[in-house]
Amino acid sequence: MIYKQVKGFRGNAETCIEKIQEDGITFSIPFDPANTDYQEYLKWVEAGNTPLPADE
Amino acid sequence: MSQVNANSIYDASGGQSAKLYGVSMRNGGTAYVNRIINGDMRIDQRNAGASITPIDGQYSVDRWRCGFTAASKFSAQQNAGAVTPPAGFTNYLGITSLSAYSVGVSDGFDVDQQIEGFNAADLGWGTASAQTVTLSFWVRSSLTGTFGGALMNSGYNRRYVFSYTINSANTWEQKTITVSGDTSGTWLTNNGVGIRVIMAFAAGTNNQASPGSWGSAFAIAPTGSVSVVGTSGATFYITGVQLEAGSVASPFERRDYGRELMMAQRYYYRVTNNATAYTTFAIGRAYSSTEGNATVYMPVPMRASPTIGKSAFGGTNWDYSISAINIVQVASDFRLITVYSAGSFTNGGAYALAAGNTTSTIFLDFSAEL
Repeated sequence: MIYKQVKGFRGNAETCIEKIQEDGITFSIPFDPANTDYQEYLKWVEAGNTPLPADE
Repeated sequence: MSQVNANSIYDASGGQSAKLYGVSMRNGGTAYVNRIINGDMRIDQRNAGASITPIDGQYSVDRWRCGFTAASKFSAQQNAGAVTPPAGFTNYLGITSLSAYSVGVSDGFDVDQQIEGFNAADLGWGTASAQTVTLSFWVRSSLTGTFGGALMNSGYNRRYVFSYTINSANTWEQKTITVSGDTSGTWLTNNGVGIRVIMAFAAGTNNQASPGSWGSAFAIAPTGSVSVVGTSGATFYITGVQLEAGSVASPFERRDYGRELMMAQRYYYRVTNNATAYTTFAIGRAYSSTEGNATVYMPVPMRASPTIGKSAFGGTNWDYSISAINIVQVASDFRLITVYSAGSFTNGGAYALAAGNTTSTIFLDFSAEL
């Protein structure tokens, strides 16, 4: 499982982070403090991890 | 005017068919007795009855989450083993042990349901006026002995371990647990976790505690409880789970399927490709040959902004050679998403976010689970 940044739509600010599973299933996680996947992502970052950069 | 005080009224034979006529219900009525959603395990949006060997935190039937400390020790499935459910039920959640695993002191295996704080706020837990609740359920196991679980708060620092005995192997038994509400601790009353209802089926000694009282040390099962994962092929089935205010277990609250599904969809909503037609998930507008947006409307407002799950891209699974779907904007009842294609859109044109074949593994899902 990896996290990857996502470019915002039409040049706007990014609105989600992407989680990619080994089986190819992907998850767009919104920046909502009440979203448990986002809470997990923040813990992952707090642990010193960094997501992959967004595609150019 | 007279008043009758009674905990239960039964029919002449002691059954539950007594009728009351000309009765005005108490304030608040009797709707939404059961704080558990999908307590009868009818709804299985994710797996449609298929067996899973879950990862930690993965959901089986709707609202019921599998938790463990050691992987691949059990499978979970709606109606596992195809036994006859208790009378009045058509479904149950079945756990099957996949090996004879010796539980370590820090191990824990359970299924739980996290009740949203909004749906437990009236119980007043964490205050001096905390209400008593009663948990009732049907359970069946290939093993006999002491089983149990726990009620727990969001912070994992207030818990009530309960205990029950399964007397006969491979026989449905109904159990009732009455718990005095917790007057201490922090119990959320918002869209966070209100009460965690944990049904344990194995726990190491570090995760066990004496049942029957509130405590702060983490525990999910009673001391000396049976380990289902310790016997290969052992089973643990549950259904008819109800948590209600008061000290008496009333008959399982029958909610119509549509309402129960909507209640579950506040937390999870899935659209799976139709096996005989190319499902259209949304209609969108292209802003270039590679980028467009589309709006997906939710059946009900969700608990929080949901995570959008998408089956794998590539091949012919998605029409327009779609290569990514991400969130642009969120609202309580719809999700505006951005869709990337490998140059197959017509700039300014409309397009269908659709499956490119009839593979049943193509899906979009939306999760706002607790």
